[in-house]
Amino acid sequence: MPQNLPNFSHSVRLKYVKLGYQYLVNHIITFLLIPIMAGIVIEVLRLGPEEILGIVRSVHLDIVHVLCSSFLVIFIATVYFMSKPRSIYLVDYACYKPPVTCRVPFATFMEHSRMNLKDSPKSVDFQMRILERSGLGEETCLPPAIHYIPPNPTMEAARGEAELVIFSAIDALMKKTGVKPKDIDILIVNCSLFSPTPSLTAMVVNKYKLRSNIKSFNLSGMGCSAGLISIDLARDLLQVQPNSHAIVVSTEIITPNYYQGQERAMLLPNCLFRMGGAAILLSNKRRDRNRAKYKLTHVVRTHKGADDKAYKCVFEEEDAQGKVGIRLDKDLMFIAGEALKSNITTMGPLVLPASEQLLFLFTLIRRKIFNPKGKPYIPDFKQAFEHFCIHAGGRAVIDELQKNLQLSAEHVEASRMTLHRFGNTSSSSLWYELNYIEAKGRMKKGDRVWQIAFGSGFKCNSAVWKCNRTIKTPSDGPWQDCIDRYPVHIPEIVKL
Amino acid sequence: MDSFLLLLCFLPVSYLLFKLFIVIDQKRHQCCYILDYHCYKPGDDRKISTEFSGEIIRRNKNLGLNEYKFLLKAIVSSGIGEQTYAPEMIFHGRETCPTFEDGITEMDEFLNDSIEKVLDRSGVSPSEIDVLVVNVSMITSLPSLAARVINRYKMREDIKVYNLTGMGCSASLIAVNIVQNIFKCCKNAYALVVTSESLSPNWYTGNHRSMILANCLFRTGGCAVLMTNKVTLKNRAMFKLKCLVRTHHGAKDDSFSCCIQREDEQGRVGFHLDKTLPKSATRAFVDNLKVMSPKILPLTELLRFSIVSFSRKMSQSIDGSRPVINFKTGVNHFCLHTGGKAVIDGIGQSLNLSEYDLEPARMTLHRFGNTSASSLWYVLGYMEAKKRLKKGDKLFMISFGAGFKCNSCLWEVLRDLGDRNVWDDCIDNYPPENLANPFMEKYGWINDEDPSTFKVPE
Repeated sequence: MPQNLPNFSHSVRLKYVKLGYQYLVNHIITFLLIPIMAGIVIEVLRLGPEEILGIVRSVHLDIVHVLCSSFLVIFIATVYFMSKPRSIYLVDYACYKPPVTCRVPFATFMEHSRMNLKDSPKSVDFQMRILERSGLGEETCLPPAIHYIPPNPTMEAARGEAELVIFSAIDALMKKTGVKPKDIDILIVNCSLFSPTPSLTAMVVNKYKLRSNIKSFNLSGMGCSAGLISIDLARDLLQVQPNSHAIVVSTEIITPNYYQGQERAMLLPNCLFRMGGAAILLSNKRRDRNRAKYKLTHVVRTHKGADDKAYKCVFEEEDAQGKVGIRLDKDLMFIAGEALKSNITTMGPLVLPASEQLLFLFTLIRRKIFNPKGKPYIPDFKQAFEHFCIHAGGRAVIDELQKNLQLSAEHVEASRMTLHRFGNTSSSSLWYELNYIEAKGRMKKGDRVWQIAFGSGFKCNSAVWKCNRTIKTPSDGPWQDCIDRYPVHIPEIVKL
Repeated sequence: MDSFLLLLCFLPVSYLLFKLFIVIDQKRHQCCYILDYHCYKPGDDRKISTEFSGEIIRRNKNLGLNEYKFLLKAIVSSGIGEQTYAPEMIFHGRETCPTFEDGITEMDEFLNDSIEKVLDRSGVSPSEIDVLVVNVSMITSLPSLAARVINRYKMREDIKVYNLTGMGCSASLIAVNIVQNIFKCCKNAYALVVTSESLSPNWYTGNHRSMILANCLFRTGGCAVLMTNKVTLKNRAMFKLKCLVRTHHGAKDDSFSCCIQREDEQGRVGFHLDKTLPKSATRAFVDNLKVMSPKILPLTELLRFSIVSFSRKMSQSIDGSRPVINFKTGVNHFCLHTGGKAVIDGIGQSLNLSEYDLEPARMTLHRFGNTSASSLWYVLGYMEAKKRLKKGDKLFMISFGAGFKCNSCLWEVLRDLGDRNVWDDCIDNYPPENLANPFMEKYGWINDEDPSTFKVPE
């Protein structure tokens, strides 16, 4: 007991010192202005009203001066407004909620696994161990074609899954926002591993009868971070085209990509990837400013493809039997950490408050000049963001990021609960997490959200959103029926 | 007082001038220039003649004599010559069971070749590339082909990369559209557009009539295009983008399903080409031209056309010929997607083009076949090799794609061009006197054979 007390008081004192430092640096302009304003007020009070009127009259304010100065003001204001980039708003988004019939509880998954992999019990064991430690729950879903024994991945089934997921998400989005198909100017669909001809974008254009001059783009192969790449593309397009709506659809179609072989490194994705999708409506119209939920402030993309190890750590290839699957390397976590470091190096100066940036600068100078072996200072990102949406790639990813960014359990709660309830839905997982935060009623006006996603290649992409209006707990959405049960405690190992 | 009046007039004038300056400055940096491009030419061992195509068809156990006749007729009348290129696995006899690796190797050959050549020739290092757009319709891989390019050439970390798939033969112009938009936001950038098609994993092994055609018509090809919006490179640039129009007819059900990838009754995946394809293509083409014509044709031609159509309607004459808009008033060269002889003939007829205008497309179809999205760049190469492109000329590119899309754009030629590029070894032989397929003389008898008594010759 006595040993703890000195540390406790020391850390409390340090905490107050830190707080004081942060307030001082972040509000330095206010602190400087206060004495100046006080000085002016005292001077004015000293002068008295008649003298003030005398000064005003002597300035000779005639009409010419007034006109010139107002022209100058208007001129400067116009230049300022014209050079600002357009604001991009997220009006609303909708996540796909799979039907109960597609659920894959652990028992079902293991039973199917035992039947499909009759010839290699070691692989079945491996899958069981992965599932126990995965952080997934009993309510994640797989598409209908995968429920067959053996799975039946035809192109028609894959198209069926795509239609089910994408059309449900877009229907929900259109109902929420009231946007008409004729109003959509830009359409971007991203799905990594399924790309029929005509593309999924053409499928959406056909179903909703979108306009013939729509700008459509179909991105694929870009991994779990493709959602943020699509947002980046939509942002660039909306900067160029005024008064437009853009719909971004992020999904991953599992049907054609279920690995049917026995190689262990390739069985891992089978255990983690689940069905899901999201549709997002972005706008740069002035009248959406009030009803939009979020405003997009930054998107930062980092691509580590030039490094061979990073490039090969998530790789689609054939195994010895010629079956195609995705191999995940053992170094994945380390590479993810490196990619994250690169990303936050670019992101830091854009979002961190002045206090953190100065601290980082001082510790950098200190390390370079005095102590080369010192630990690098990790800026406190909790100062810059209220909410974090970390791609639910797997338990290890969330643990690693929590450690690297020094986040508390509450910050990563949205990610962990999404992994538990929906599994790894690839590029759409960020939107399920955002929906969790809203469903818990934690999103207030002015809150800043940081979405981080990793993807094959190896990419690390981040997007920063600012909440535009306090969001009431949504009455619909994927979390509607189960939010009250969350958060749940997820044990280290679930015994199967 | 006078000086104040002067100031009064001076300020709003200078304000307007400043506004004008900002607009011009923005526009200066928003122009989209092509610095260089390089089309892919595989080695001579990959050439496929009509006779060899016949052998490949015979090899397929699922195809009988009727299909053999149908396909040979299609190949012979398609306008494809004897020197087009096919993927390697066909030469090993493995077209019915392609592996995933085959598809990747096919792409690697192209990516390792063209991009290096275009960057070397223009003196731009891979780490200077700011935007990369890769479009290959029919293959998806993880990591994407774009990531493959970044890994092979060690490009920068903050590169803007996009990997488009599934967008059909018109995807080249969609990639150019992305670059055009990004150039409006980013100054002083280099962009690389890489376009090709993957044939190996998409061979159809069944015998459904509408799907076997796709096997015979597509050929290997690809192109890497280096683009920039740097004003300082204007003197070195080849082309400047004037305008780009995209038309998407996916809303119409018959347009959407006329060109679709699906499974046949036996579960084999193939590319279904419907009989309504020409009609959908024409519809999309007309819609696209409706938007494009006002942007590229001079006012005189538009006026003339509207007056003629109006007077025709008023007089209600039963005169058969409808007024045709004369595109040659605004366009000097026509760069058509080499989808097939029927496509080229159809466009030629609707735009009233002469044989001289259609020559580049016909010759490209003959020499390289239908290389899907990259075919436009081979046609461009032909025009350049024939020294047709002079400074100030306007070039109209038009392409069609599954969905159904019709995309077109107008380029302005910035300097006299004459590099023989990928046509180096054969441009002097073009145009040949006779485009007829030599196969017809040798095997024309096949059309008279009776299916019940015919045995496939050994």
